[in-house]
Amino acid sequence: MTNTEIRPVGPEPARTRRSRRNRGNRGTGPTRKASESTAATTIRTRGTRLLAVLFLAPTVVGIVVFTVVPIVGSVVLSFFQWDVIDDPRWAGAANYREILTDSTVLVSFRNTLVFMVLAVALQLLIALVLAIAVNGRMPKWLRSVFRSAFFFPLVLSAASISVVMKYLFNQDFGPVNWLLGTVGIPSVPWLTSENGAMAAVVLAYVWQQFGFSFLLFVGGLNNIPKEVHEAASLDGASGVRKHLAITLPLLSPTLLVASVVGIINALQVFEQPYVLTAGGPGDSTRTVVMVIYETAFEQLRFGEASAVGVLLFALIMAVTALQFRLSRRYVHYQ
Amino acid sequence: MTDSLLSRRALMRYGAYGAGAAALAGVAAGWDRLTAADIPGRDDGSLVVATLGSAFNPEAQRALRDGFREVHPDIRIRINPVQAYDWSDFFSKILTQIAAGTAPDLVYVATEGVQLFAQRLGVPLDRWAKRDAAELRTYFADVHPSLVESMMYEGSLHQLPVEFNAADMYLNSRVLERAGADLPDDDWTHDDFTTLLRAMKRSNGDRFTPYFWTNRLWGGVVPWLFANDTNLLTESKAPGGDWLWNSFYPEAQRRGRGGGYRWTTPLADSDRVAEVYDYLSSLIQEDLCTRPEGGDGRNLVGVFSTGRVGVTPAGGFWAGGLHEAGMKPADYDVRYFPRRRTRRHQFGAAGYAMLRTSKMRDEAWEFIKYTARKDVMTQLFAANQTTPARRSMVDEARYRETGPAHWQVFYDTLDKIPTTGPIPAPPQVNEVEQLLIKHTGTALASPGAVRPALRRLQGDLEKAMEREV
Repeated sequence: MTNTEIRPVGPEPARTRRSRRNRGNRGTGPTRKASESTAATTIRTRGTRLLAVLFLAPTVVGIVVFTVVPIVGSVVLSFFQWDVIDDPRWAGAANYREILTDSTVLVSFRNTLVFMVLAVALQLLIALVLAIAVNGRMPKWLRSVFRSAFFFPLVLSAASISVVMKYLFNQDFGPVNWLLGTVGIPSVPWLTSENGAMAAVVLAYVWQQFGFSFLLFVGGLNNIPKEVHEAASLDGASGVRKHLAITLPLLSPTLLVASVVGIINALQVFEQPYVLTAGGPGDSTRTVVMVIYETAFEQLRFGEASAVGVLLFALIMAVTALQFRLSRRYVHYQ
Repeated sequence: MTDSLLSRRALMRYGAYGAGAAALAGVAAGWDRLTAADIPGRDDGSLVVATLGSAFNPEAQRALRDGFREVHPDIRIRINPVQAYDWSDFFSKILTQIAAGTAPDLVYVATEGVQLFAQRLGVPLDRWAKRDAAELRTYFADVHPSLVESMMYEGSLHQLPVEFNAADMYLNSRVLERAGADLPDDDWTHDDFTTLLRAMKRSNGDRFTPYFWTNRLWGGVVPWLFANDTNLLTESKAPGGDWLWNSFYPEAQRRGRGGGYRWTTPLADSDRVAEVYDYLSSLIQEDLCTRPEGGDGRNLVGVFSTGRVGVTPAGGFWAGGLHEAGMKPADYDVRYFPRRRTRRHQFGAAGYAMLRTSKMRDEAWEFIKYTARKDVMTQLFAANQTTPARRSMVDEARYRETGPAHWQVFYDTLDKIPTTGPIPAPPQVNEVEQLLIKHTGTALASPGAVRPALRRLQGDLEKAMEREV
């Protein structure tokens, strides 16, 4: 196999382009041989390219149909008034004016950002600590048990988890307050006070979601050469020092991925606050996606809901772009 | 820059790709292929009836379908049980089906959605009801006019109620006994209620909640508003409907009836509403009841049946639930809601609404009539999961096994308190309920929060009511 054959995609090298120009020359000798060889390579390259396109096409079609089209549709709909039943009516920028002066919408953005910060920070911290712990010395079977146990909540339905959490956090009859009561801590109004409700929603969310970051971190930790830690140990570095000076910098690419995914997911949180607190007390746990759902499906104002969706999309894009920008400074690749 | 030969070749290649794609598309378009319409049961000419879930007594749902097929073998029918958390969730799912072009012919709609469906989606049943008046006479004679009036919108009848639930008070007998209290009188007041809660709290320990209530339109703050002779929105009656009252109800029962309820101007910042919130706030401060957000009906049967809750508002639907939870008829009883300025109670009713999109309206009407038959309702509501709209079905035999002892309260809430009316449910009901829940939570957060929260509720309700649905 030649070098040319293992170059399936990307711009064609100048040599190939030159060879194409010479295709008209059907002489004999080295020139002809080179020409035939290049032609065969080009055919193979074309075949590989076609194969790549064929493999990628279903995914691209899926993304276009299920992501790009709805996004464009949502942007278009955000300039209309539509209630499902009658035909859409042009509204211009009225939907945006309406939502930008709606206190519920503004509060929901604030809540979502607060939730994002708390949930992602807690999720990454717990996942990192547990990943380091599981990566330490322990029997293989026990490691597998922990990995499965931490990942398990992720495969459960968020709605059903939230129903259980609602029972657990119930102020009057919930086991959480009962447990706290046994050690003398007075009953906490988990779901009925503003701070308590946000804490309950964050805890329910983190409990379910940290398994994903945990798995990423376990993979990332396995990629850190043991020799680096051993060298640090020989130099007399403590365990904490080794993690701060070696593990974290070398894990920073994984941390970036986990935080990007975590933030995108957290900004779209819906099930936990919807089931646990219905956005209350007051608006204290109402998130942006809840507002989109309520505005569209409960109040039949699909145009305004789309406008809120467009703003959320812009927020997610902005936060993600900011993360990648900051990553240039803080992420270290080996 | 590429040379011209390459460009021409590239052009030819892309042209060939385009032609190929067009040919494929043409073949695909002309191909007699399967589509969503080919899914068995879809668009097969069946009368589609959307109901709220089938979790409770699915055998009865099947019996309903099979029974209708026996009576009308010429009508194909399909029951579409939609799983939903509550009525609001159910209506959202129905609207999604309508938007997707798979609208059912009939939808089971409760008071919460009667006006929304009537205004935007429903077909008045007047012409069929007039046509089959002779057949319907026994039905109307057996159904309280308040229930029928709650199913009217702007002078037209939109549904035949088949079930209802008024908000009465359930009391746990064991808790009463521990408190050394008797079952309260029929005519008890909210002061008697407070005294009873205090007695229950004293005798049942810290981990006991005397009164459990939910934060929603039905069974939440609204029954307390009704008892204080006020409402969330001003209530009046639409004109019209005489054709129905004159045809089916005697003079005494049709007096004061109209063409359905109108709920218009918000009253949230009125003194009487504030009185109610102040009262509920005082109960919370005194630890005599749950905070509104803490209440969730799904856990309620469990905590009531185990004696961790003393009193809660519920309708006839609880008789079946408590029986399932193992409570005997003597373990609990039911009373009217405590009186304040009035004894007016709230109720919610339900029946089948016919959708404008239906192409099988005559068949749909036959189904509506069928579900209002006594034998059908008896079979459908055998498990006491609700209160049948027919008075004759609310009898001793029905409650002998499940209780409560004072089962008469269920229908007497309509018969003996004629002012009893439906929960305020204008076409903007979803937003109204959402605002009520949100601001009730804020209002009852602390004693000083009531009035500011009610002012915000008033403002938001005004905005919602001005908005076209």
